[in-house]
Amino acid sequence: MATLQLKNLTKRFGKKVVAVKGINLEVHDGEYLVLLGPSGCGKTTTLRMIAGLEEVTDGEIILDGVDITDLPPRKRDISMVFQSYAVWPHMTVYDNIAFALRLKKMNRSEIDRTVREVAGMTKIAEFLDRYPFQLSGGQRQRVAVARAIAVKPKLFLMDEPLSNLDAKLRVATRTELKAIHHKTHATTVFVTHDQSEAMSIADRIVIMKDGEIMQIGTPEEVYDQSASIFVADFIGTPPTNFLDVELVREGETLYLVNPHIKLPLSAENAARLRGYDKRELVLGIRPENILLTSADEADLSAACLVAEPQGSHQVVAVELDDKLLKIVAPARPKVRSGETVHLTFKQESLRFFDRESGARI
Amino acid sequence: MTKKQWKKLGEQAVPYLLILPVVVYYAAFWLRPVLISVIGSFTDAAGHLTLQNFAMVIHDEAFIPALRNTAVIVLFSVTLEFFVALFLALLINRKFVGASFFLFLAMIPMALPSAAAGAMWITGLTAHGWINSLLHYLGFLAKGKSIYWLAGSETSLLALLIVVDAWQVIPSVMIILLAGLQNIPEEMQEAGYVFGGNYLTVLRKITLPLLKPTIQTAVILRLISAIQIWLIVVILLGFSRLPVLVERIVYYHKEVRGLDISYQMAMGYTIIVAVIVSLVSLAYLQVSGAFKKERGEVA
Amino acid sequence: MTKKTRRNIYRTARLTAFYIFVSGVTIAMLLPLYFIVSLSFLSTREAYRYPLPLLPALNVEYKLTHGERGYLLSVYDPIDKEYQTVLDTGDLEKMSVYMKSQLGAPMSVPEIEQQIARLEHEAPVFFTRRKSLLYNYETFFKVAGTGQAVPALIRSLEICAMTIAISLTIGGMAGYAFARYTFRGRDALKFSVLFVRMFPGVAIAMPMVIILVNMGFYDAPIGLSLVYSVGSIALTIWITASIFMGIPVSLEEAAQVFGATKIQAFLRVTLPLSLPGLAACAMYAFLGAWNETVAAIILTQFNPTFSVVVYQTVLGAVGQVNLAAAGGMVMALPAVIFTFFIRRYIHQMWGGVTV
Repeated sequence: MATLQLKNLTKRFGKKVVAVKGINLEVHDGEYLVLLGPSGCGKTTTLRMIAGLEEVTDGEIILDGVDITDLPPRKRDISMVFQSYAVWPHMTVYDNIAFALRLKKMNRSEIDRTVREVAGMTKIAEFLDRYPFQLSGGQRQRVAVARAIAVKPKLFLMDEPLSNLDAKLRVATRTELKAIHHKTHATTVFVTHDQSEAMSIADRIVIMKDGEIMQIGTPEEVYDQSASIFVADFIGTPPTNFLDVELVREGETLYLVNPHIKLPLSAENAARLRGYDKRELVLGIRPENILLTSADEADLSAACLVAEPQGSHQVVAVELDDKLLKIVAPARPKVRSGETVHLTFKQESLRFFDRESGARI
Repeated sequence: MTKKQWKKLGEQAVPYLLILPVVVYYAAFWLRPVLISVIGSFTDAAGHLTLQNFAMVIHDEAFIPALRNTAVIVLFSVTLEFFVALFLALLINRKFVGASFFLFLAMIPMALPSAAAGAMWITGLTAHGWINSLLHYLGFLAKGKSIYWLAGSETSLLALLIVVDAWQVIPSVMIILLAGLQNIPEEMQEAGYVFGGNYLTVLRKITLPLLKPTIQTAVILRLISAIQIWLIVVILLGFSRLPVLVERIVYYHKEVRGLDISYQMAMGYTIIVAVIVSLVSLAYLQVSGAFKKERGEVA
Repeated sequence: MTKKTRRNIYRTARLTAFYIFVSGVTIAMLLPLYFIVSLSFLSTREAYRYPLPLLPALNVEYKLTHGERGYLLSVYDPIDKEYQTVLDTGDLEKMSVYMKSQLGAPMSVPEIEQQIARLEHEAPVFFTRRKSLLYNYETFFKVAGTGQAVPALIRSLEICAMTIAISLTIGGMAGYAFARYTFRGRDALKFSVLFVRMFPGVAIAMPMVIILVNMGFYDAPIGLSLVYSVGSIALTIWITASIFMGIPVSLEEAAQVFGATKIQAFLRVTLPLSLPGLAACAMYAFLGAWNETVAAIILTQFNPTFSVVVYQTVLGAVGQVNLAAAGGMVMALPAVIFTFFIRRYIHQMWGGVTV
């Protein structure tokens, strides 16, 4: 149980490449925090700095009030699940789990008890005498998790632990990881590039890009209140639809205008956009917030390009100029490609972004 | 400096500390001898700059024959070995029962130390050796008759040496080429057949070009060892009968060691061999891409 | 004939032709080897008959009668299918020595006397003795290189062990650096390693004479292992670098995270995983040092290596074909065995493993 603070944490490779640009972050006790971002955003580097596997260029890492910035990994009281699992191939599952405990000079019976306990928790009790090559990928991943929880660390680090599993197993395993977390309540930093994984597992999500933190928040916050175009685009599948619009005032009413639409704004939205008169904005709206409607109520009518049935729903794509607008619609009635669809936007779900900075208004 | 900076410096020094021994070792036991021999070959006894040593070697009456014999052996044996090995490799390039055992057997000739190979051939090629005995049992030789393998003309002796060398080398070249062939995805050739190629066009336009790096490796490594042929020559024919370059080194160093010129002569030949082999090595490093800037290989 | 049976016949014919071809190649490869093995088991008398026997005899069938000078000893020749007289002497001591050295089927003087006693009742007497197949090997170790064979063998093993130790430590360290770090001069070192590997050993051996004399290592095993290590260090770097690259860094990192120091992580994770590869490197170094002849000739004088002793025996082989064969066999055996163990790595090297 612990809290982790990153203060102005910076990592430079060589002279030019700055992988992590002075990030500040606090992980609360028992929290499941996910670092999310596209590849090369610095999330793994951040995790490796926390683990002590990467040297810190500048800044501090504080675990439970102790500055661990310059400590070697073994003195940090952490444990880690690696992307490739890093399960030692020349040791049995038992020895893999017991490795750290033996180095801690724990007595034999206690080691044995701990190993069996965590093996039971991760459902690998029957494999303890096997070697990793005798296990499937999923089982190896469990060994890596068991090894990590056995040491009862202050801080749990996970570097894309699910990315080498096939899609179905990945979903099942993330549920289990979450369940294990409910039992251990260990403070966890979890790195992934998969936003749905992040959404489903995180207490809070830290979205990173180019070595900087873009937004920190609960899954609901980052989804509903995305702080920037980048976040709104990165979170959610299909991603948020973006339309370049201009804000035009006609009498009392504000309109969002572009060649395809002329959307009157509700009073609430109008109030939020006060002062942005005649400015060029980006309108963001999530696919499920565009509704199919009748011709006379439509904000926009266009021909359907393709409709992808998903069973529970269908994804309708409409082409506006060279941009696709995606709509998550109920599975029925089925939309056919070429058919004209009439769309209306949920006023309360409209999000506005500054076209230049990308920041949310 | 702070403790942290010291630590950082220490970490950065690790790779250099790891390579330090090899650098020192090479400097002491490779670079130094090489420099000694280069300097030695350009200076006379009094330490003056001279080309006298090389002139002496060039005027050695065995020099031209040694150079020529070495060249002939290298040229013909490498060519012969390459084509036979390629032919064998193409024929054998498929999975068959006993393949791995066959490949092991094929490695034995290569594994044979040259002294052992020498023993094998000298006991075979004498007038009453096993080769004549075999020919006798097979009915090719009448009773009491024998072929004097080692008494032939220079040309026939060269041919003999090339065949003997080929026996030892062909299996290993074949294995190299076989390994190369098996690294080519079968789909490459299958695509060739699908798009209308017959065996020969696929071989010429697809298989061989894809095999090119392997071929280069095999041929150049063979060249390097063929240039240094000597022991089998000496065991079969003795010194000076069919001089080759490395044989001259041993000859001057061991056989006529008393002479004033022995050391210089041996050294002169050494340098010539070293230069020739180095040139071939450089050619190899060139084609193998060692000169190219390295890609980021460190994981 | 149906189309199917025709196709089957065609396929069988093709397969048969293929196997005949492979067998032919195999025979061509193995025939010379067969003869050196066979020769090494021949007695001196067998080795000097012509044509040579295809198989070494396992027994010697003796025939003994009275002769002009005492007793007439004949042996059965399985090729000519007749008894051939080999000795006529009254000197039983001489007969015993002859039986041992020429026929490889020794009998002591009392044993011969026993047979002579039988002559009183019947003549000739026939008796069979088992031939000692390893006689040539024993003789080789006794007489080759004027008794130098055994010390030379020990010396060669010493040289091999030192070469392995030197090249594994120095080469292994550099191999690790190549696999795990980027450092300045990496390309230059990589290039030198390749170049040194291809540089002819004889070209280092000649100037090394002076250096080793100054160091007091001329004509000593350590001197030769210093020379051999030059080449085998390069090879070791090559192989170990690819081995260490094949062991993911994350395995070491995991050990560090779970409480090990960097050195512990190396010793407990990377080292055990690289042991098979390091063993292969050791065998490679062994082969290089064991097989080498020319540098050994140049750098030794009174303390030759085993390969030099074999070379000298073979060079003077006119009188001792079977001894030369036995020497060659002793030389070849460890080389072939170790090659068998490292054949996977040889394939890999030839597959173009780069550092």
